[in-house]
Amino acid sequence: MHTRPDRDGEEQLRLLGAAWEEAAQHWRDEVARQFDSGHWTPLVQQSRTYLDALRALMDLLETAERDTEF
Amino acid sequence: MGGSGGTSSGSGVHADVEALKGFHEALVRFRHVQRSVAERSGDEIEMTRASLAAKASHWQARLDQSQAEFDACRAGPGADCSGYARAVEQAGEWLEHIRRWQQRVDEAAGEFRGPAGAFWDLLQNDLPRAESLLLALIADLQAARRVQAGAS
Repeated sequence: MHTRPDRDGEEQLRLLGAAWEEAAQHWRDEVARQFDSGHWTPLVQQSRTYLDALRALMDLLETAERDTEF
Repeated sequence: MGGSGGTSSGSGVHADVEALKGFHEALVRFRHVQRSVAERSGDEIEMTRASLAAKASHWQARLDQSQAEFDACRAGPGADCSGYARAVEQAGEWLEHIRRWQQRVDEAAGEFRGPAGAFWDLLQNDLPRAESLLLALIADLQAARRVQAGAS
Protein backbone atom coordinates (compact mmCIF):
# COMPACT_ATOMS: atom_id res chain seq x y z
CA MET A 1 0.00 0.00 0.00
CA HIS A 2 1.33 3.42 -0.90
CA THR A 3 1.80 5.64 2.13
CA ARG A 4 3.24 9.12 2.16
CA PRO A 5 6.91 9.13 3.13
CA ASP A 6 6.35 11.79 5.80
CA ARG A 7 3.84 9.50 7.56
CA ASP A 8 6.30 6.60 7.56
CA GLY A 9 8.93 8.97 8.92
CA GLU A 10 6.61 10.14 11.69
CA GLU A 11 5.77 6.56 12.63
CA GLN A 12 9.45 5.63 12.84
CA LEU A 13 10.16 8.63 15.08
CA ARG A 14 7.27 7.56 17.32
CA LEU A 15 8.64 4.01 17.54
CA LEU A 16 12.13 5.28 18.28
CA GLY A 17 10.75 7.55 20.99
CA ALA A 18 9.05 4.56 22.61
CA ALA A 19 12.31 2.58 22.47
CA TRP A 20 14.17 5.48 24.08
CA GLU A 21 11.57 5.75 26.86
CA GLU A 22 12.01 2.06 27.53
CA ALA A 23 15.82 2.29 27.56
CA ALA A 24 15.83 5.46 29.67
CA GLN A 25 13.88 3.68 32.41
CA HIS A 26 16.80 1.29 32.83
CA TRP A 27 19.65 3.65 32.11
CA ARG A 28 20.03 6.45 34.60
CA ASP A 29 23.59 7.55 35.00
CA GLU A 30 25.88 10.32 33.82
CA VAL A 31 26.53 8.58 30.49
CA ALA A 32 22.79 8.42 29.90
CA ARG A 33 22.46 12.15 30.61
CA GLN A 34 25.31 12.89 28.19
CA PHE A 35 23.73 10.66 25.56
CA ASP A 36 20.43 12.44 26.07
CA SER A 37 21.84 15.94 25.60
CA GLY A 38 24.51 15.06 23.03
CA HIS A 39 22.67 12.61 20.81
CA TRP A 40 19.03 12.02 21.65
CA THR A 41 17.72 15.59 22.01
CA PRO A 42 19.46 16.87 18.82
CA LEU A 43 18.23 13.79 16.96
CA VAL A 44 14.61 14.42 17.95
CA GLN A 45 14.83 18.15 17.23
CA GLN A 46 16.35 17.67 13.79
CA SER A 47 13.97 14.85 12.94
CA ARG A 48 11.03 17.05 13.98
CA THR A 49 12.25 19.96 11.83
CA TYR A 50 12.77 17.66 8.85
CA LEU A 51 9.46 15.81 9.20
CA ASP A 52 7.50 19.06 9.60
CA ALA A 53 9.13 20.41 6.42
CA LEU A 54 8.50 17.12 4.63
CA ARG A 55 4.83 17.07 5.64
CA ALA A 56 4.35 20.63 4.36
CA LEU A 57 6.05 19.72 1.09
CA MET A 58 3.99 16.55 0.59
CA ASP A 59 0.80 18.53 1.29
CA LEU A 60 1.86 21.03 -1.37
CA LEU A 61 2.64 18.30 -3.92
CA GLU A 62 -0.77 16.71 -3.35
CA THR A 63 -2.50 20.07 -3.72
CA ALA A 64 -0.53 20.80 -6.90
CA GLU A 65 -1.71 17.53 -8.44
CA ARG A 66 -5.31 18.03 -7.37
CA ASP A 67 -5.48 21.66 -8.40
CA THR A 68 -4.18 21.02 -11.91
CA GLU A 69 -6.57 18.17 -12.77
CA PHE A 70 -8.89 19.34 -15.51
CA MET B 1 13.28 -6.11 29.42
CA GLY B 2 13.65 -9.80 30.08
CA GLY B 3 14.17 -9.27 33.80
CA SER B 4 17.91 -8.91 33.33
CA GLY B 5 18.08 -5.99 35.74
CA GLY B 6 20.73 -3.30 35.81
CA THR B 7 24.41 -3.95 35.44
CA SER B 8 27.33 -1.76 36.40
CA SER B 9 30.40 -1.82 34.19
CA GLY B 10 33.96 -1.15 35.23
CA SER B 11 33.66 2.34 33.72
CA GLY B 12 30.70 3.13 35.96
CA VAL B 13 27.92 2.72 33.39
CA HIS B 14 24.75 1.51 35.03
CA ALA B 15 22.14 0.24 32.62
CA ASP B 16 20.13 -2.73 31.47
CA VAL B 17 21.89 -4.49 28.59
CA GLU B 18 18.67 -5.66 26.97
CA ALA B 19 17.16 -2.18 27.16
CA LEU B 20 20.22 -0.70 25.45
CA LYS B 21 20.20 -3.46 22.83
CA GLY B 22 16.55 -2.74 22.08
CA PHE B 23 17.24 0.94 21.72
CA HIS B 24 20.27 0.29 19.52
CA GLU B 25 18.19 -1.91 17.22
CA ALA B 26 15.50 0.79 17.07
CA LEU B 27 18.14 3.38 16.12
CA VAL B 28 19.50 1.21 13.30
CA ARG B 29 15.97 0.59 12.02
CA PHE B 30 15.19 4.30 12.26
CA ARG B 31 18.25 5.17 10.17
CA HIS B 32 17.39 2.66 7.44
CA VAL B 33 13.72 3.62 7.24
CA GLN B 34 14.44 7.36 7.28
CA ARG B 35 16.94 6.95 4.45
CA SER B 36 14.21 5.26 2.45
CA VAL B 37 11.81 8.08 3.45
CA ALA B 38 14.33 10.65 2.20
CA GLU B 39 14.78 8.81 -1.11
CA ARG B 40 11.04 8.42 -1.61
CA SER B 41 10.56 12.12 -0.90
CA GLY B 42 12.93 12.94 -3.75
CA ASP B 43 10.96 10.57 -5.98
CA GLU B 44 7.68 12.27 -5.02
CA ILE B 45 9.08 15.68 -5.94
CA GLU B 46 10.30 14.39 -9.31
CA MET B 47 6.98 12.63 -10.03
CA THR B 48 5.02 15.81 -9.35
CA ARG B 49 7.42 17.83 -11.50
CA ALA B 50 7.04 15.32 -14.33
CA SER B 51 3.27 15.31 -13.97
CA LEU B 52 3.06 19.11 -14.06
CA ALA B 53 5.43 19.23 -17.03
CA ALA B 54 3.20 16.75 -18.90
CA LYS B 55 0.11 18.84 -18.10
CA ALA B 56 1.85 22.03 -19.20
CA SER B 57 2.87 20.33 -22.43
CA HIS B 58 -0.70 19.13 -23.00
CA TRP B 59 -2.17 22.60 -22.44
CA GLN B 60 0.50 24.26 -24.57
CA ALA B 61 -0.54 21.95 -27.43
CA ARG B 62 -4.21 22.77 -26.76
CA LEU B 63 -3.39 26.47 -26.78
CA ASP B 64 -1.46 26.19 -30.05
CA GLN B 65 -4.30 24.26 -31.65
CA SER B 66 -6.96 26.65 -30.39
CA GLN B 67 -4.94 29.61 -31.58
CA ALA B 68 -4.57 28.05 -35.05
CA GLU B 69 -8.33 27.40 -35.23
CA PHE B 70 -9.07 30.92 -34.08
CA ASP B 71 -6.69 32.36 -36.66
CA ALA B 72 -8.27 30.23 -39.38
CA CYS B 73 -11.73 31.39 -38.34
CA ARG B 74 -10.72 35.03 -38.41
CA ALA B 75 -9.22 34.60 -41.87
CA GLY B 76 -12.68 33.67 -43.18
CA PRO B 77 -15.33 36.21 -44.08
CA GLY B 78 -17.80 37.30 -41.35
CA ALA B 79 -17.74 34.16 -39.21
CA ASP B 80 -18.49 34.21 -35.47
CA CYS B 81 -15.14 33.29 -33.91
CA SER B 82 -16.07 33.98 -30.28
CA GLY B 83 -16.09 30.25 -29.39
CA TYR B 84 -12.54 29.85 -30.70
CA ALA B 85 -11.49 32.99 -28.83
CA ARG B 86 -12.90 31.54 -25.60
CA ALA B 87 -11.03 28.28 -26.17
CA VAL B 88 -7.77 30.20 -26.64
CA GLU B 89 -8.41 32.17 -23.47
CA GLN B 90 -9.24 29.07 -21.40
CA ALA B 91 -6.22 27.12 -22.64
CA GLY B 92 -3.99 30.10 -21.88
CA GLU B 93 -5.41 30.45 -18.38
CA TRP B 94 -4.92 26.75 -17.63
CA LEU B 95 -1.39 26.84 -18.96
CA GLU B 96 -0.60 29.85 -16.78
CA HIS B 97 -2.21 28.14 -13.77
CA ILE B 98 -0.06 25.05 -14.24
CA ARG B 99 3.09 27.14 -14.69
CA ARG B 100 2.39 28.94 -11.42
CA TRP B 101 2.16 25.55 -9.73
CA GLN B 102 5.42 24.47 -11.34
CA GLN B 103 7.05 27.56 -9.89
CA ARG B 104 5.57 26.97 -6.41
CA VAL B 105 6.75 23.34 -6.42
CA ASP B 106 10.26 24.39 -7.48
CA GLU B 107 10.39 27.01 -4.73
CA ALA B 108 9.09 24.61 -2.07
CA ALA B 109 11.53 21.88 -3.18
CA GLY B 110 14.35 24.42 -2.95
CA GLU B 111 13.36 25.49 0.56
CA PHE B 112 13.12 21.84 1.58
CA ARG B 113 16.77 21.23 0.63
CA GLY B 114 18.00 22.90 3.85
CA PRO B 115 16.28 20.65 6.41
CA ALA B 116 16.63 17.63 4.10
CA GLY B 117 20.40 18.13 3.84
CA ALA B 118 20.78 18.56 7.60
CA PHE B 119 18.71 15.44 8.23
CA TRP B 120 20.66 13.42 5.67
CA ASP B 121 23.87 14.49 7.41
CA LEU B 122 22.39 13.31 10.71
CA LEU B 123 21.54 9.94 9.19
CA GLN B 124 24.95 9.54 7.59
CA ASN B 125 27.17 10.81 10.41
CA ASP B 126 25.55 11.52 13.78
CA LEU B 127 23.38 8.42 14.00
CA PRO B 128 26.17 5.93 13.22
CA ARG B 129 28.25 7.64 15.94
CA ALA B 130 25.42 7.26 18.45
CA GLU B 131 24.99 3.61 17.41
CA SER B 132 28.73 2.97 17.89
CA LEU B 133 28.62 4.55 21.33
CA LEU B 134 25.72 2.32 22.33
CA LEU B 135 27.48 -0.78 20.99
CA ALA B 136 30.57 0.10 23.03
CA LEU B 137 28.42 0.55 26.16
CA ILE B 138 26.67 -2.75 25.53
CA ALA B 139 30.00 -4.55 25.09
CA ASP B 140 31.27 -2.89 28.28
CA LEU B 141 28.21 -3.99 30.23
CA GLN B 142 28.34 -7.53 28.85
CA ALA B 143 32.00 -7.81 29.87
CA ALA B 144 31.12 -6.56 33.35
CA ARG B 145 28.30 -9.09 33.54
CA ARG B 146 30.71 -11.92 32.65
CA VAL B 147 33.12 -10.75 35.34
CA GLN B 148 30.30 -10.65 37.89
CA ALA B 149 29.09 -14.10 36.86
CA GLY B 150 32.64 -15.47 37.16
CA ALA B 151 33.08 -13.97 40.63
CA SER B 152 29.86 -15.43 42.03
